[in-house]
Amino acid sequence: AEAPVAAFERRVLRSAAPHHYLRVRLELPDGGARPNAAQFKQLVVSALRELHGEVGAALPVDLLTYEEKTLSAILRVISSGLVKLWSALTLLGFYQNRRCAFRVLQTSPFLLALSGNSRELVL
Amino acid sequence: MVRFKNRYVLCEVLSDDPRCRQCIEERAVGLAVRDAIGRVHGDYGLACCSVSFTVKYLNAYTGMVLLRCRKDSYRLLCSALPFVRHLESRAQRYPCALNTLHVGGTIRTCQKFLIQYNRRQLLMLLQNCTNEEERQCIQKSLLSCSLTEEQSQSGDEEDDDGTE
Repeated sequence: AEAPVAAFERRVLRSAAPHHYLRVRLELPDGGARPNAAQFKQLVVSALRELHGEVGAALPVDLLTYEEKTLSAILRVISSGLVKLWSALTLLGFYQNRRCAFRVLQTSPFLLALSGNSRELVL
Repeated sequence: MVRFKNRYVLCEVLSDDPRCRQCIEERAVGLAVRDAIGRVHGDYGLACCSVSFTVKYLNAYTGMVLLRCRKDSYRLLCSALPFVRHLESRAQRYPCALNTLHVGGTIRTCQKFLIQYNRRQLLMLLQNCTNEEERQCIQKSLLSCSLTEEQSQSGDEEDDDGTE
């Protein structure tokens, strides 16, 4: 007897991953006191509150790693809130009345993808 | 067809304080709703909802308010209405609450709903009457209201039009 023909099945998921990860760096051009991890998270939440209100401030954002020396961090946010978080970080201009800017270096739905960055590859 | 579609939200202003009625005016309600949207949804939400936002109709005696907004942002507006807690006008603020009754696509559907709602409210008021003279009073005023030719239609149509 012949083996049954294998049925072809294709599944397309628009956004299967529940979280999105962002590697960001805060640029503070003046040489003042650097924020610690809690102050950094407070800054992110206040940026969300300014642009998106209480609903935005309640978005579940996690600070996974933080380096005070380089002011760079890895943030995790629920996938449906990526646009709100990124737009809030883009439009943030001041930290304690000092000019600042967020630079988003990498973003990916998978944390492993943030470990390598081809832009900083030295050939 | 490409046109701007609006949503009309019909709400009722509820308050414990009887002096709140004098505070119900278009500017005060508009400012209170805008302020609530700004708090709940931030600058982006406020700008989104303010595109075509007005208080279309207001009735201080019954506390009915009809708000208009764009179809794309009516969910932001409706979710911010429970956060309106005070109405402020002429340096007086009174606590109040907004109860959403109906969301419609046109003023006409909201008006139809309002007529039916008012009819049911009048019946309920009649049933909840405690003494006989209140009952007589309400029945007399119901039977005496009617549409007159020279008055404008909009003022009378949301009351019971006395044909029953």
